[in-house]
Amino acid sequence: MSYVLTCPNCGPREVTDFGFGGELHPRPTEAPSDRDLNRYVYFRRNVAGLQVEWWHHRSGCRAWFLAERDTRTNEVRWTAMPADAPTEGATAA
Amino acid sequence: MSLDFLTPALGAGSPPARSPIAGTAARDGGRLEVRGDWEVPVSFGDQAAERRATQESVGFADASWLTKTQLDGPAEALDGCVAGLSFGTASLHRGAWWCRLTPTRALILGAAPAADSVSGAQLLDVTTQYCALRIAGPRCREVMARFCALDLRPTVSPPTALRPGSVARTPGLVVVEEAEQLLVLVGSALAEYFWTVVSDAATRLGGRPVGTEVLRGEALDLQEASADA
Amino acid sequence: MTRLTPQPGERIDRSRPITFSFDGKPIQGYAGDTIASALLAHGRTTLSRSFKYHRPRGELCGCGQCANSLVDVDGRTGVRACSEPIREGIRVIHQNAWPSLDFDVMQATDKFGGPFTPVGFYYKTFIRPRRLWPLYEKVLRGAAGLGRLPKRQEERSWETEYRRRHCDLLVIGGGIAGLAAAITAAEAGLDVVLCDEDVTPGGLLLSEGRADRAQALLGQARDAGVEILERGVALGFFDGLVPVWQGSTLHQVRAARHVVAAGAIQQPLIFADNDLPGIMLSGGARRLGAVFGVSPGTRAVVATVDDRGLDDALALHRMGVRIEAVADLRREPSAAAAELQAAGIKIVQGATVVRAHGGNAVEAATIAPVDGGGQAAAVAAERIECDLLAMSGATHPAASLLLQAGGRADYESERAGYRVTEVTDAVDVAGATAGDDEYELAELSGQLAAGRAAAALKGGPAPHELEQRLASLRRPLNIATPPAVASDGESAGKYFVDLDEDVTVKDIEHAVGEGYESLELAKRYTTVTMGPSQGRFSQIPSARVIARATGIDLGDVGLTTARPPWQTVPMGVLAGRPFEAGKRSALHDRHRDRRADVRWAGDWRRAYHYGDPQGEARAVQTSAGLIDVSTLGKLLVQGPDAGELLDRMYPNRMSNLAPGRIRYGVMLSDAGRITDDGTVCRIDEDTFYVTTTSSGATAVEGQMNWWLSAWNLDARITDVTQGVAAMNLAGPNARVILSELTEIDCSNEGFKYLDAKHAMVADVPALVLRIGFVGEVGYEIHCPGPQAAHLWDAIVGNGSRAVTPFGLEPQRILRLQKLHVIVGQDTDSESTPFNTGMGWAVKFDKEQAFLGRWALEASADQTPDTALVGFTVPGNEVMVEGAVVVAAGEPAGQVTSARWSPHLGVSIGLATVPTELATDGQSIQISYAGNTYSAVVTTKPFYDPDGEVLRS
Repeated sequence: MSYVLTCPNCGPREVTDFGFGGELHPRPTEAPSDRDLNRYVYFRRNVAGLQVEWWHHRSGCRAWFLAERDTRTNEVRWTAMPADAPTEGATAA
Repeated sequence: MSLDFLTPALGAGSPPARSPIAGTAARDGGRLEVRGDWEVPVSFGDQAAERRATQESVGFADASWLTKTQLDGPAEALDGCVAGLSFGTASLHRGAWWCRLTPTRALILGAAPAADSVSGAQLLDVTTQYCALRIAGPRCREVMARFCALDLRPTVSPPTALRPGSVARTPGLVVVEEAEQLLVLVGSALAEYFWTVVSDAATRLGGRPVGTEVLRGEALDLQEASADA
Repeated sequence: MTRLTPQPGERIDRSRPITFSFDGKPIQGYAGDTIASALLAHGRTTLSRSFKYHRPRGELCGCGQCANSLVDVDGRTGVRACSEPIREGIRVIHQNAWPSLDFDVMQATDKFGGPFTPVGFYYKTFIRPRRLWPLYEKVLRGAAGLGRLPKRQEERSWETEYRRRHCDLLVIGGGIAGLAAAITAAEAGLDVVLCDEDVTPGGLLLSEGRADRAQALLGQARDAGVEILERGVALGFFDGLVPVWQGSTLHQVRAARHVVAAGAIQQPLIFADNDLPGIMLSGGARRLGAVFGVSPGTRAVVATVDDRGLDDALALHRMGVRIEAVADLRREPSAAAAELQAAGIKIVQGATVVRAHGGNAVEAATIAPVDGGGQAAAVAAERIECDLLAMSGATHPAASLLLQAGGRADYESERAGYRVTEVTDAVDVAGATAGDDEYELAELSGQLAAGRAAAALKGGPAPHELEQRLASLRRPLNIATPPAVASDGESAGKYFVDLDEDVTVKDIEHAVGEGYESLELAKRYTTVTMGPSQGRFSQIPSARVIARATGIDLGDVGLTTARPPWQTVPMGVLAGRPFEAGKRSALHDRHRDRRADVRWAGDWRRAYHYGDPQGEARAVQTSAGLIDVSTLGKLLVQGPDAGELLDRMYPNRMSNLAPGRIRYGVMLSDAGRITDDGTVCRIDEDTFYVTTTSSGATAVEGQMNWWLSAWNLDARITDVTQGVAAMNLAGPNARVILSELTEIDCSNEGFKYLDAKHAMVADVPALVLRIGFVGEVGYEIHCPGPQAAHLWDAIVGNGSRAVTPFGLEPQRILRLQKLHVIVGQDTDSESTPFNTGMGWAVKFDKEQAFLGRWALEASADQTPDTALVGFTVPGNEVMVEGAVVVAAGEPAGQVTSARWSPHLGVSIGLATVPTELATDGQSIQISYAGNTYSAVVTTKPFYDPDGEVLRS
């Protein structure tokens, strides 16, 4: 695995520059039911295909940003800071 | 309570600030002297040869004493900053490289700005967080290529290019100061490691360590550092 | 074998002899020779012994593609003799034969073991009785494998450096297509790198007598600014990163586009005893003559299915090799045959070679007309004496990197092989790899690939015109499909489909018979294609055998994608330079001076102790000790919402902390599990100074920033771990020592437990935190790294009270006496505040939905199953960390920490135990290494249980 990811601040970098933050998985905004809490804490969609996910440019600007990536091919469609992300709920973590 | 403990107290009555590079540079033959209240390797035995290395192959020098100031503020405040803060490019402003890292954070390498010169943003001295090396000479990019995946080709990263990213497998930041001079920062706890890596690569390419005074940047030299302090 | 008369454009310089040794005997060659060409010029045809049967093997491809020529050079094993240039004085030793290359006792496995050693034989036979396997394995491993590593570490060292190279276009292969592509692209303004495996690029131009043309193109490429990596092997395609191995440098090439112009690999034919030395690919034989001036034989039989074989036969004839006969599998004479016939060379149409004869080298070949199944017509079989049997079994595109990148190749029966049918955006093909192997076609296809790359990167029109011209010049192919096996029907002899791994036709058929009908399964069962040549010469032959055995169409048998590395590469090349990114505190030189035992602690190099951990621990308790704790994570959290952020990050309340006060904080995940801990100190209204565990700083900063971006709070975090040094001065004399170095009031009233003060200490600005991890009155002094050594020296040399520097190990002893938990040591992924005795740190009465709140609330009314407790063990035995706590004969917990306590003079520890056993005085059983120990539970700290010393 050595594809290139584009940090919205720093530009294209080797993927090894980054920390992976997992798929976009918003935290409940209010106290969840036991079932929802369980789902939130322990379950992920784990898709084979396009997924919006968190990345951390830990070797560079240290910003967290979002990327849409195909988990099968590592093709990255876009990356963006959460505020600029073309997706719903990005800022709800 | 204050945050003064983040910054060495300089001047009369204070012990000199020891560069994080000092110990390892001394073991490599560097002569340590105090310049501008910083204890730095001023020479590695032959300043003429050191100067020649920076012109003919490559030389690398400690620049950890550079004042480093973090600037935090809302994106709009940083966008409107007088120094002109844009991503990917360091702007030289009043003897310092102003480096935009994120929408809300920048790093200023060199003379710290006056607090009232950056409205709507906060300054924090982070001088001690990084060690810095200047790597200069025709082979400076070849040296970097031995341990760094950043694309530093002159066509892609011309002078003033700002490249935060992994350097020697550790978080770093590169400023292309001149056509053949790079300023490279990594965390100060990695100073000895980083020096070893750069030294290994540079000496294999015919380069050598050089005294701090041999390599001066446009941004700031050591005398100014002391004057500023 | 001998040298030929000088060949036009030959690489060797006959005026510069070079001497090296082979198996101890001096061999003279010329500058430009490879090890193999020099040996062949001396008549040595056997270069190695085979992997399994120890059969003699000689030159096959002549260009470093096969495993037949692996030798040991100056202690480096697996060097390819046919591509490694000779150097003065190198010591070359054969591999895999004992006592000598010409007489190898292990060849008995060939002579006698043959029918008894099918694939899997060793494992199936020796696996029982199970207890003897280690013994068998030792013997078998000794007999297997190639080469021997030097015994001493110093002799195994390998100096390789990485070199990152970014470029627009990487051209892999420097034949005519690759050179044309590189020149075209560079002239179009692209930044181009070209790598080629040979000493000088040129590819087939070199072995076809056109070295001058290769030189001209190379010069043109250099002038255009192409960086040429000679002897540079592209090892694989890793998401666009291509490592190119060149001697002691591993170039990590990151190119925007790639052109694979690596040529095509001539395929062998399969017949009886097809592995004898002297049996070569026709292209390899020709290359030996043209490039190295070595006669590959004196009398040759050539077997071919295409015009390449005819062309090579003619070239060999012109070098002075007597061509006894050419067996051309095609029924009708090709147009190219005329020139051979004019030269008086006999061509037998519709025939191929069915058997080679000879002991240590080929002595004769039987050629015969064959039917579609490869069976010879016995009447027409003809045995011809020869010392060279050259074969041309069509070609296979060297498109491995393209396939790794997601491209595709499909079988085409008219070419008796595969053709690239799909390229990717990143990887294109040109020349023979693309199926265009004639000069003019190859050159055009190189230009076309470069044109496509330039259009993609620089904009501009796609080179359609070039594409059309290329298409118009392509001619129909005239290639016969070789049979899976050509045989004269006799039982004697072996038919090898894979020379690397000694896999025979029978082995493949055996595998199919056992149900391994797909190529992927047969490959794993027989190891076919898994040897050093990565299936270059065995993939298609084995696929043909499977197709024949199963009745599946060859095209449907498929291809396996050779995994990187495409060429065998020493491990040392991949290891890079031997530097580890170790962090060192600003005080590290002081630890060095005191000869500390320095060890890894996370990514830090830390002083573990200075020689006497027990003594250092005692010194802390009797006078004072000083420990470097600069490795603690230190974060500055600032801004109007800093308190709110911390209230959400920690289960207890931080926003009501008064400036100058400190609070302990444990960090949780949303599953309620403990992830880190540390202290929080409020500097002023908007500023908090947070410490984390030594290994947790980066992760905590990352997590905090993540939540910060999610919660949209007005706060900012700065990691000041590396720039701020910290040292903990602790012990009964700590207060006196500190008070002598600073002007602040150090009395217990003026500077209470969990107070923080900013002060000049020994002329150094410092933040002093009164906390006590080791249980004594203690001050954690944080100061700028560049002045830390001065402060350290001032404290150690204070001149009034003894201060003993102590390391991590004595600190661990002292904190264990206090039952202070170390996150990560005494906690694991199941630990919550409730089962580690830290329920007091959870404040459900605050309004924030802090991390872990919901999960903890869900289990708040339940008693945890386990508890973390202290224990003592009567006797002197110190428990092993990780030892099992046994209850009612079942594992019920484990020891998380254990030490000898110098203060108590007893063995102590921390352990997780079932909650019902977590009462003072309870006896528990601890078991490890077959022994069981009785221990006594303690729930209060062993030392200063009520914290009176700490607060005094």
